[in-house]
Amino acid sequence: MDVLFVQALINGLLLGGVYAAYSAGFSLIFGVMGVLNLAHGELVMLGAFIAYGLFELVRLDPYLSIPIAAVSLFLGGYAIQKFIINRVIEQPHLMSYILTFGLHLILANTAVKLWTHDFRTITTSYSGMNAAFWGLNIPYARLITFFLAVAVVIFLWLFLNRSETGRAIRATAQDKYAARLMGVNVREIYALTFGLGAAVTGMAGASLSPFTIIFPEMGLGYTVVAFCVVVLGGMGYMQGALYGGFALGVVQSLTAAYLSAGISVAVTFLLLFVMLVLRPTGLTGKGIAG
Amino acid sequence: MKVQTARKRLLIWGVLTLLLCLFPAFVSSQYLLRVAALIVFWIGMAGCWNLMSGYTGYVDFGPVAYFGIGSYAAALVMTEGGRSFFLALPVAGCTAALVAFLIGMPTLRLKGAYFAIATFAFAETMKQITLEFDRTFGISFFQGSHGITLPIAPYGNAFFLYCALAVASLVLLAHHWIENSRFGYALKAIHEAEDTAELSGVNTFGVKLTAYAMSAFFLGVFGGIEAYWITYITPADVFSVHKTVQMVIMTLLGGMGTFLGPIVGAVFLTGVSEILGLTFVEYYLILVGMIIVGVILLLPRGIVGTWKERKRLRSL
Repeated sequence: MDVLFVQALINGLLLGGVYAAYSAGFSLIFGVMGVLNLAHGELVMLGAFIAYGLFELVRLDPYLSIPIAAVSLFLGGYAIQKFIINRVIEQPHLMSYILTFGLHLILANTAVKLWTHDFRTITTSYSGMNAAFWGLNIPYARLITFFLAVAVVIFLWLFLNRSETGRAIRATAQDKYAARLMGVNVREIYALTFGLGAAVTGMAGASLSPFTIIFPEMGLGYTVVAFCVVVLGGMGYMQGALYGGFALGVVQSLTAAYLSAGISVAVTFLLLFVMLVLRPTGLTGKGIAG
Repeated sequence: MKVQTARKRLLIWGVLTLLLCLFPAFVSSQYLLRVAALIVFWIGMAGCWNLMSGYTGYVDFGPVAYFGIGSYAAALVMTEGGRSFFLALPVAGCTAALVAFLIGMPTLRLKGAYFAIATFAFAETMKQITLEFDRTFGISFFQGSHGITLPIAPYGNAFFLYCALAVASLVLLAHHWIENSRFGYALKAIHEAEDTAELSGVNTFGVKLTAYAMSAFFLGVFGGIEAYWITYITPADVFSVHKTVQMVIMTLLGGMGTFLGPIVGAVFLTGVSEILGLTFVEYYLILVGMIIVGVILLLPRGIVGTWKERKRLRSL
């Protein structure tokens, strides 16, 4: 195996871990409520901006702002679900798609008003530093983010499977009527679920801020990647976000290395399209069927 | 009563068309002509989305794919082929319909969010392919991000108003047909209960595919018209997700699956964006977002749907 291939593979896996982290929340929200959150990328954007703002103001290391991003986005997400999305949750799903698209426009363009179109980066003491061996290069920041991302997905899985609230969330996803009869406050669970999804996504946003270009309109691209990851891994299936993220990251990185970066975007969409047509339940077949 | 109201609506559209045809004779302002043409253009575009998604409830998030395919087909026929605009239009429509037929075969078997994402992915794939095709294969065909410049039309805004009127009228005729035919009943049945419809002997797949291809045909023609009107097309423009959003929001604002819905929505939103877009340029998109959220929360059935419901309740 040549170095280029191994390097592309490693890059793909590192990228895939990040993809997995911000797609897990998307998958959770869809799996529990059937809401296709088109404002998902804006949650990543907000997480990244929180890290950027704290870094600029008090020189806080972006990795240390992760808990702050998590708490703020949890509160924001909880409020959005409780006061806005819950009002259309019993209606056809189209309503929630359009509603979240409206939220996307409001969030992204308000951010443009507040922070202008400028591209921003966070330059830390370890920016641009690599672990170099055998002709390979692994940026430290990406490596840290990779492990954090995987930890986030595992944390989410543990929370859903080991805690009482997690049990209520899973019960609501399976059958909201039965859950209601068992004394679960379904609307409250919806609000908690969206808050949790937003918190995880905000954490991902903050943790990728050290090596990403941060700007108010970055969101839509992230939403699209989250679509793709979640479809690959299986909608509503938590561990699927990891498989989907890795698969997409590796495919993108290999096409970028051997064909061109432009074509790798086309390949992403083609993969998404073919996957939906041939196997809508994801690579593992454990996603929610259409 | 049903047939009568349907006829009345067609008559009203006929009178409106006649008035709009006379519009250029009395109004000399190019700006007003352009706005009129734009409104009619969007009535037709929103109508195309309504034909498929409004009646069946299958949310298509990639109608702009067929608009873009039509734009490129028309542009290539006119530049590479050197043929006239009037030949380019049917070619644009037929190309879009043919692609829709092939793409519809696999995607129309998907449901709900999966159909929405697949159509969205298809539109984005088309954008990326037209962007990267030439560079990847080292040829000069779609011109990538440089776009294609069309021959400049020897006609003014009045001509494009007539073009848009003609196609929008056809789209509305199709609505009329849907509201009063077995085909339309089948489409609505898919919306209400697809499995039951299928069990009752409705060829649901065939009906969906027909509606999808029909909507794509008209979208393709509109794409051709806009390409010639603007005279310059790029992948980012003709495959822009914002065109899809406009179609969806206009239909939703007016009322999904109704004859008047796209008309009301397109007139309202184009009017609003002409006014807001000029006075509040910086806040325009935030305001559009707020309008969307407001409509969904306060008027979930759209303007026409809410009005109909009120009328029905009053008559009880």
